[in-house]
Amino acid sequence: MKLSDSLKIAFTGLETNKTRSFLAMLGIVIGISAVIVMLSIGQGVQNVVLSQIETMGHNVAFVIPGGTKQEKGLPQFSLGMMEVKTLKTADAEALKKGFYIKEVTPIVFGPAVLNYKNETRRSDFTGTVSNLQNLKGYKMLEGNFFTEDEEKSMQKVVVIGKTVKEKMFKNQKVIRERLKINRQPFRIIGVMEVEKMGGSHFIDVNDKVFIPLSVAQKQMLGTDYFTAILLQSTSAETLDLAVAEAEEILRQRHGIKDSSQDDFTIMSQEYIASTFNLIGGILTIFLAVVAGISLVVGGIGIMNIMLVSVTERTREIGLRKAVGARKKDILNQFLLEAVTLTILGGMIGIIFGFIGSYLGGIILGKILDITWGFTISFSAIILAFSVATAIGLIFGIYPAHKAAELSPIEALRYE
Amino acid sequence: MIEVKDLKKYYQGDSVVTKALNGVSFFIKEGEFVAIMGPSGSGKSTLMHIMCFLDRPTSGTYKFRGKSIDELSEDELARIRNKEMGFVFQTFNLLSRTTALDNIKLPLVYTGLSAKLENEMAQSAIEAVGLSHRTFHFPNQLAGGEQQRVAIARAIVNQPSVIFADEPTGNLDSKSGQQIMDILQKLNAEGHTIILVTHERYTAEMAQRIIQLKDGKIISDEVVDHRRFAKDGLIK
Repeated sequence: MKLSDSLKIAFTGLETNKTRSFLAMLGIVIGISAVIVMLSIGQGVQNVVLSQIETMGHNVAFVIPGGTKQEKGLPQFSLGMMEVKTLKTADAEALKKGFYIKEVTPIVFGPAVLNYKNETRRSDFTGTVSNLQNLKGYKMLEGNFFTEDEEKSMQKVVVIGKTVKEKMFKNQKVIRERLKINRQPFRIIGVMEVEKMGGSHFIDVNDKVFIPLSVAQKQMLGTDYFTAILLQSTSAETLDLAVAEAEEILRQRHGIKDSSQDDFTIMSQEYIASTFNLIGGILTIFLAVVAGISLVVGGIGIMNIMLVSVTERTREIGLRKAVGARKKDILNQFLLEAVTLTILGGMIGIIFGFIGSYLGGIILGKILDITWGFTISFSAIILAFSVATAIGLIFGIYPAHKAAELSPIEALRYE
Repeated sequence: MIEVKDLKKYYQGDSVVTKALNGVSFFIKEGEFVAIMGPSGSGKSTLMHIMCFLDRPTSGTYKFRGKSIDELSEDELARIRNKEMGFVFQTFNLLSRTTALDNIKLPLVYTGLSAKLENEMAQSAIEAVGLSHRTFHFPNQLAGGEQQRVAIARAIVNQPSVIFADEPTGNLDSKSGQQIMDILQKLNAEGHTIILVTHERYTAEMAQRIIQLKDGKIISDEVVDHRRFAKDGLIK
């Protein structure tokens, strides 16, 4: 039996019941487009996050308190790590002595209620030191950042984020204005813009204020430990050395002999990137699995329709067998019909998947205020195509087998 | 060419065994026109199915050109049905969404010929039944007699040596039936062996020989003395 004949028969079969074929196909269309959209969005999220992490700078690492005790895979972060009180001023001082460590920037975070005249705003404060302004991604829009002296002498000065200025002050002059933070009066000395970084899409990093570390620790929080310490190595090439050095220093200071006992974690850009890569990969797989389930449902729809078709065409099958069709010919005919349905559905699904991914990208880009790189991998299309074919074969084989096994006499007698 | 020896076919029902064929024997030579006649339930359809290699006997032997069903594989049986046998059914069994021409080509699909040859064979078959002007009509655009002529064209398209016709005139008015019988007689004159299953004596008498069945047994097997010819017109 020639392929052209088989195709002709398959198309005639599908054309006969256009509405039914279309509805059966719809399941596959939805499933395939869902897979494509999900893969594309998963990939897109990963790309965005990675490109954001890039902006962090190639010579920056974070030291955070608490060990993750994991060599490979996902580090086990927990909220409790924020409460670990092991990173102290002396640690920061010790780190400064590192040969490859250029800058050490301790940071503490805390909640802040801002008051300006009658205006109140909930925000966060970051207590830090003067050199934060030198980090990549931090830019002064107005005024100055506080100096080392101002930090040391516990001056109540504040640098406000761009968003705080926009929301609370509109176009008014802000420098030298008095802003109350948690009821304590501060003098505004500058406005800062922070470039968004990885993982911060849902938090406006510009909706916060920066105050001297000493003020934050002693007058606001009453603590003597840090939330994190930012390290800058002398260059991008020496970052690994700086990280190793910092680990050495901290272990020595904390009396730790084995790296598995670490009560801190140092994350470089690479480390964060690989973590997000893993998270992104898991997210992509998860989304694809969810979409895959809808494909299975679509496949069951195909099987159902093929079974109906076999029953309806019992006489035709009997006739074909009588005039010389082998079991194989009948099997192939119905398989081809099922596969034609799913491949057709797959192709339409790919088109809809393209459109969906494109629109989804635009919408997500708008919501998150980022430039979304529209990505559809060639492999996703190949995958969608093979999955569509496989579903046709898997869910078509039972009805086709049923057709092939029909007894021609019974089939010809069938009313 | 066709050799039937002590053929038995029993069907096992819930409690009773139905003896559809109970010891039937005969020979049919190449080029013969044989009518198998009998009332419904006489076993003529069962006999026909066994002769078409669509069914297996319970016991006894049926040989087509010296081969029995047990000596042939499923694929070989399909090939014999495709190339050596043609089928005409009481209910025509045309594919409704397919043109007359494509219906006629149906057996050729399983023969594996070039498209050009397929078309030539289908054209000559449709000419043989006088329906060249209906080539691209769909079955529902054709009269009953015309539909059956398409079915005959389908049966002869592969130039089979034997044509099995199961009550070919059963669903037709007498004039259309006459035309069908005329075509079958012509095909027989051209050398096709024809095996006609019918319950009407009038139709059966258009054959050269009548095998009469009753309750699964042959009650007579005789040559028709005064053979009727369909082209002579209606004498009913």
